[in-house]
Amino acid sequence: MEMEKHLNCSRGGAESVLGLKPSSSLSIAYHPEYGPHNDIVLLELDEKLLPDVFNQRVFIRGQPDDDAVLCTQSKTYAVKFVGTSNSVCLVPPSNQSGMRRKLQDHEENGCDLERASVIKLAPGSMEIVEIAPRLDKLKSLLSQAPYGIEDASEMEVEGLGRDEKGLYKWGDLVNEIQASDEELKSGLQSLSAFEIDGYWRLLDETYMDMILKMLLHNCVLLDWTLNALDEDEVLGVLESDGFPRKVAHHCLSVYGDKLQEGGCKPFWKLNDKRVSVHFARSVLREAEGNMKMERFLDEWRRKVPIGMETSLEILEGEILTEKIGIEIWIRAFRASSLPSAAADRFSILFKERPRWDWKDLQPYIRDLNIPGVSLEGLLLKYTRRVQSSSHEEPVFTAR
Amino acid sequence: MQIQLKCSCGEGSCPEWAIIELQGVVEVQPDFQEQLKNLKIGQICRSSEDTYTFTIGYHELTGSKVPMKKPLLVLKKIKKNIEDNADTNPSNPFKMELEVIGIIRHKILFKTRPKALITRPQPVVKERKQSSKSGITEMERAC
Repeated sequence: MEMEKHLNCSRGGAESVLGLKPSSSLSIAYHPEYGPHNDIVLLELDEKLLPDVFNQRVFIRGQPDDDAVLCTQSKTYAVKFVGTSNSVCLVPPSNQSGMRRKLQDHEENGCDLERASVIKLAPGSMEIVEIAPRLDKLKSLLSQAPYGIEDASEMEVEGLGRDEKGLYKWGDLVNEIQASDEELKSGLQSLSAFEIDGYWRLLDETYMDMILKMLLHNCVLLDWTLNALDEDEVLGVLESDGFPRKVAHHCLSVYGDKLQEGGCKPFWKLNDKRVSVHFARSVLREAEGNMKMERFLDEWRRKVPIGMETSLEILEGEILTEKIGIEIWIRAFRASSLPSAAADRFSILFKERPRWDWKDLQPYIRDLNIPGVSLEGLLLKYTRRVQSSSHEEPVFTAR
Repeated sequence: MQIQLKCSCGEGSCPEWAIIELQGVVEVQPDFQEQLKNLKIGQICRSSEDTYTFTIGYHELTGSKVPMKKPLLVLKKIKKNIEDNADTNPSNPFKMELEVIGIIRHKILFKTRPKALITRPQPVVKERKQSSKSGITEMERAC
């Protein structure tokens, strides 16, 4: 009889366990639905992240072969499983599915009211630790099909099925990239990507060069001042030159700064540094490798509009120089093309050069952002610091 | 792919689950290994304000109620099939969702080794029958 009575008797749950009064007791049993329940997992979270969860602003992101990350609106966390050798018995609240019915069925059977049930043993829980967003893939995805002159002319042919290969909408990117929304947005911005026809694209560099040159050409021709470009007028003229308005606008935002003045019409000021760096890149791209410093400076200054700065300092993180004999050679080496994971970054840097002066190295590592680790910590971990005497500059070699 | 953490309960009303944690493993007598459902494991008694005892068969564990350092969310994986999802993402055969079904803020932790009970509590005939049904005889220290 005793056995009969206890079958399917599942009154009392977590609240009975947690609210147990002093000098009272409670039976603990296996739940009527006890089992492995592999679909139930535990996730340990900071108290401060709970509002994000309850407002459904938290996502797990990654492809099946990636290590999963958890993203809030602004941060990315690695997720790892931490096992335990203890028996962690999970007790659900009493009103879980199916329980009410059973309760009714068996209430009159006189079963033990003070009883709580274990639904499963948890083998461990998931824990999270903040990491830098994994944005390297973003550049390789968007580089598959940069927006170029073909796209601009295609726009005129309406209704033709577009080849979507290598094109990504926001919804595609969040499925591919392991970063929070905010980090993904700033990643897109630092790549100078823009959204057109619903897709996030990079602008092909040679096409970009064409637009910028046309803009500067128009400035001379129409006597515009580089410090106060009337947006409507500029876009209108560029449009009549055959550049889509949206693309021309993107060009303005890449090479210019919007003036925050009270007037109703938006004005732009070209950014000297960004324009100069653009032309330095284009000189080096045409040279396809090393070039003598003198020749580089010559060509660079010829391309940059008069009055804009052309000192080598603004090319930090863009070029490397090398002394061969009595001549100085220069070549492109962009910080923005390096991987964002510290180990990969240092391995590429030391492959490029076995020894780095601090002033040369700094532009290539200053953007490394590993939560909880300082730049000094990274240098200690990945480099060996050599300083022959206290008044000499330190040199960094591979560890 | 991305999986949203869904939550239909909201912060204030998220059901609280409990954990009863003990060292090692509860070993079930071979006769009952196939019939765990509804089987009684033991009796928890809050003997004083801070002390809990857990009696399993002939063994007694002593422990206390401790707050979790960080809350644990109880998540349930839900697979949605292709029809619901074909429009938005045809390359994905199914869509996974994670639903928050509970939160754990406290556990009753028994971190001592079990003490053997020499005399059996309440050796009434009825009780004996019940205990043998439970058949939990051994605690193993595993860590």
